[in-house]
Parts: sequence; C-alpha cells; structure tokens
Amino acid sequence: MATATRFRTLKDMPSDEYLTPGNTMCAGCGGILAVRIFHKVLGPNVTWVNAAGCMTIAVSYPLSPLKSNWIYTAFASAPAGAQGVRDALDVLMAKGKLPASEDMKVVVVTGDGAAYDIGFQSAAGAIDRRLDFYYLCYDNEAYGNTGFQMSSSTPFGSASKTTPPTAANPIGNTHRKMDLFEVWRAQNAPYVATLSNSHGVDFLKKVEKGGTIRGPKMYIDFAACPTGWGFDPKDSIELEKLAVQTGIWPLKESVDGVVRHTVVPRSLLPVKEYLTKQERFAHLFEPTERTEAIRTIQESVNSYWAVAGAKEGFAVKAAEVT
Amino acid sequence: MMLRVRFHGRGGQGAKTASRILGDAAFNDGFNDQDFPIYGAERRGAPVAAFTRFSDGDITERGFIFSPDIVGVMDDSLIEDPLANPFAGLRKGGCAVVNTTKPSGTLLPDRKDAKIITIDLTGMALKMLGKPILSSGIAAAVARVAGVSEGSFLKAVADELREVGLSEEMVKKNVEFAMAVYGELAPLTLRTEELPSKLELVPLAVVVSGEGMEDVTQTGNSAVRHTGNWRTYRPVIDYRRCTDCMICYAYCPESAMSVGEDGRVRIDYENCKGCMICLTECPLKAISQSGERGLQ
Repeated sequence: MATATRFRTLKDMPSDEYLTPGNTMCAGCGGILAVRIFHKVLGPNVTWVNAAGCMTIAVSYPLSPLKSNWIYTAFASAPAGAQGVRDALDVLMAKGKLPASEDMKVVVVTGDGAAYDIGFQSAAGAIDRRLDFYYLCYDNEAYGNTGFQMSSSTPFGSASKTTPPTAANPIGNTHRKMDLFEVWRAQNAPYVATLSNSHGVDFLKKVEKGGTIRGPKMYIDFAACPTGWGFDPKDSIELEKLAVQTGIWPLKESVDGVVRHTVVPRSLLPVKEYLTKQERFAHLFEPTERTEAIRTIQESVNSYWAVAGAKEGFAVKAAEVT
Repeated sequence: MMLRVRFHGRGGQGAKTASRILGDAAFNDGFNDQDFPIYGAERRGAPVAAFTRFSDGDITERGFIFSPDIVGVMDDSLIEDPLANPFAGLRKGGCAVVNTTKPSGTLLPDRKDAKIITIDLTGMALKMLGKPILSSGIAAAVARVAGVSEGSFLKAVADELREVGLSEEMVKKNVEFAMAVYGELAPLTLRTEELPSKLELVPLAVVVSGEGMEDVTQTGNSAVRHTGNWRTYRPVIDYRRCTDCMICYAYCPESAMSVGEDGRVRIDYENCKGCMICLTECPLKAISQSGERGLQ
C-alpha cells in the first residue's frame, strides 16, 4: 500500500500560498486552514465550487482571499456545479480550445450542512456519475454560519441553537453523528478520507494520494470552530489533536472500498478531556455531571476502535468507562 | 421624546447584547423600546453594529439608525475603518462613548459640536471578567449617559445575560463590571438636532470590463481588508529561541505568516487576527503575546 510521497514532515508543506491574508473567517477558524493546506497540495490551477456556508463569506465581491477561481452555487447544488465546470473544461480541451496545461482541478468546498444534509442528493448524483472531482467538507458539526444550529453531523450530547439543553432534555442533541465516510464508501466512491488540520502530514499525504485517483474523492476535515464550540481560538489545533487522541475523530482513508486507519492511537485518552474544553458540552458537566451521556460517548468510541482494530489487525487500548 | 443609539463593535464583543440590555433597561424605566443588530455575515472580529431606540411615546420609526443621538464605540480601531464609520450621522449636540485609552480630544477633532466620552472598557473587562467582552460595559456607559436609572439597568443586565445562557457566576461578574462603569460616568443633558443633510453625488468612472479596477478584478486581493485591527493581542516571535521548525507557519489559518529569504518566519501584522494558534503550537515557547492599543 506504500506509495511514494513528497511529504515526510511539516517542513515539506509547500511554501506556495494560494490563500492571501485578510479573509473574513473568525480568528482560529479550522475551515479556512483546511482550504489553505488543501490548496497548497493541489497547486494553482483550481476551481472551487462552493455552496452556502461560512466559506461563502470568505469570497465575497469585491474581495477574495483566493488566487484561484471560485464559483458559488445554491445550497443544494455544489456537486452539480462541479459537474458543469468539469464538463466545460473537458469539452474545451477536446475541441482544442483549451491547452491541457490550463486544465483545472475541480473542488467542491462546503461545510457539513451542505455535505451531510442539504447538498447530499447532489453529491450522491455526482458519485453515481463518477464525476472526477474533489469534495472538501470542513466539518464543524453544525450550521456555524447562521448561529450554530444542529446538522446531521452534530455529535451526540452537543448543545446547539436548535438542541439546547433543557429540563426535559438535559443532554442537548440526542442523535448520533451521521457517518458520511461510510455513506460515500457504500456508494463506491474510489477515495474517501478523513482529515484533521492538527495532523498536517497525514492531511498532505491524503490530498496527494487523491491526485492519483480518478473519480469522486471525498475529504472530511475536522474543522474546529471557536465561535460555535465555545473555546479560545488559540486552542483550535489542540482540540483537533484531542479529538484524534481520544478516538472521537478517527483518521482513515478508503481506497476502492478498502478502509485503512492512517493514525492509530495506541491508547485512547478519555473523551472527557475533549468534552470539558468546549462550551457546547458544558451542560454534560455542570451543574450536575451527566454520567450516562458521557458513558454513552465513551462506549461508542471504545467499541468503534475495537471493531476497527479487529478488522485491520491493530490493538487500541480503550479508555476507562466511568 | 426619542433617543436613538447605535453601537459599533467587533463580532464577539457583544454589540448585539449591549443593544438588548439598553433597550430592556429603558423598558424597565417605562419607555417603549426597539433593539436589533444588523443581521448578516458577521464574524468574530469583523465590524458589526446594533441599534436601540427608546421613547416615551410610540415608536413608528423602523430600520437602521442613520442619525443617532448617541453612538457607543466598543473598539477604537473601528474609527479608522471605513466599513464601520462609527461617527457617521452622529447628530449635532450628540454624544460618542468610546472604549479607548486615547485622549478624547484626538478622536473626533472636526466635530466640536459633539461630546466625546472615553473610558477604558477593555482594561476594566479584562480585570473584572477575565476576557474582553464588553456588552454590559458599553451598555452601562450609554445607559448612564442617557440617564437610565441604576435599578432598571442592573435588572436588565442580569435578565438579558441569563437569557443568552451565561452562568450565574458570569452574570454576577458582569453586573459588577456594569456597576463599576455606571459609577464612573454621569448623566448628560443632550440637545440634539439632525445634521443638515447634504446630498453628495458620487461620480462613477466609466470602466471597461477587464481593463479598469484592477484591484477588484484581481484574485487574491483580500489583504487590503487589513484584518490586523481585529486583534486584541499580537504574537511576537523571539528569534533567538526560534529554530525555524515551521509549525506556526503550517498552522496559521490566515496565511499571515510567511517565510523570508533568510528562512525565518515573518508575521504580517496588517492582517494577523491574533488567534494565537502560533503561540499555543510553538514547541519552544518562542512566541509571546503583547497587548494592542495600550493593553498589557
């Protein structure tokens, strides 16, 4: 499975910058950082296709932080927009009107709202048509742009504008986070990967690998959101790191349906260490600790890694369930 | 008699909450009130505005306040920001309450008719709340100047902050902060009149598509926005300790760090928003923070 990579350490991150300073995202935004790193691997010839979300505000006339192209589509339609751009490029090249050197990589970039919910049918269609494109979802686990309402990516136990902890329902969101990775894999997308900005080399390698694969490529980036999650922007990377170390955010990839975990924590940190650092989970600890909800989260993480380890032949020491 | 107040802040400082606290406080005093923010693409750090109207009669006005009697400016970097333009339309004889450590005479030199009140809310908030959130502070300053009674005001602070979900401890700290600000200022008598409106015609240049307006049609032109003034603290690299490991560079979400020809990381202070990820991630602790605008 080993393929040659130009990325061994963070120092190998390309120094070419395609995102210019002065964007309008919140300080410490994980989503814009993902766009920046992703772009560095893809190089200059990129057309981004966006649907409504935080990133829409990053590129609004007359100022753009991108040195590349940007198309904005309706909320539900970014992968359909990508189909149009891809087809246009292919037709122009076939007619000899566009030299192959000016071909572009077509990248859909949306938040979890479009990727998991509103734009999902359009993505399903693009996978079905084997459209050659990248999909970068910066997953901040809610509709962050409009005030942090729940999406189907919102994790169990998280507060959001639409799932506030109440007397009748003290734990906030009672749904489990939808498994978008498995949904794309089940549709035979040739490449599906999860990313975390905190694991930069893993991130770079996965984008690089996608470049060798034709067809729909999905990247789900765990994008820390200081504003929505309620933590100091300086800890963005630390929280993403903790999500990986607690096992809450598994780093993995699927090539033609075969899953491989690319970062395997030897022993899981307790999920509490991740949960207690964010206001969206504060109600699980104050005024009384919601032991059962925390146990549910810990058990689901432990069992995830037990199943994954049994399949792939690695052992992960589970964290204690209290 | 109606009083129109406009708050200018940066996303996350609490301009919207301030407008609600003030409206609620005036309501407790028996006035009719309206309060609302500009709803749009606000971001933490980006310029935002919110409005409060209160009156002893019916309020039939709607929409944004273009000629306020009082403006509350929560961040003095907004004064220079053409997107915020906080003193725009301030009525003759009106009042500006500005959170700043600068002397009041330097802020609005060409408006002798307006009263400028300065107060270091950020410094007080950091001391009393532990973070630069100014909703209760700026509301206190404006409420005091406008003559809202103390009891009505403090009740509004507690009610509104509970409603947005603050813990009892933070509500208590905010009430103390608000009381301290309220105690520092005195009520004013304002006799305001609208500025004579001048209709200014802006001549539009004829632009041939693809030729003119280079800065607009260019890609990657966002650096002119100068998001550096969103910052409360700035990161400072100690080059004697820095080993050029590039971790800070890799994790900067703003591309506000670049590598010079000498291989060293430089910070673009014009655009660094001060998220301080670099400070947290630096393995050698070679980055420290330094307060902006007179902060320690």
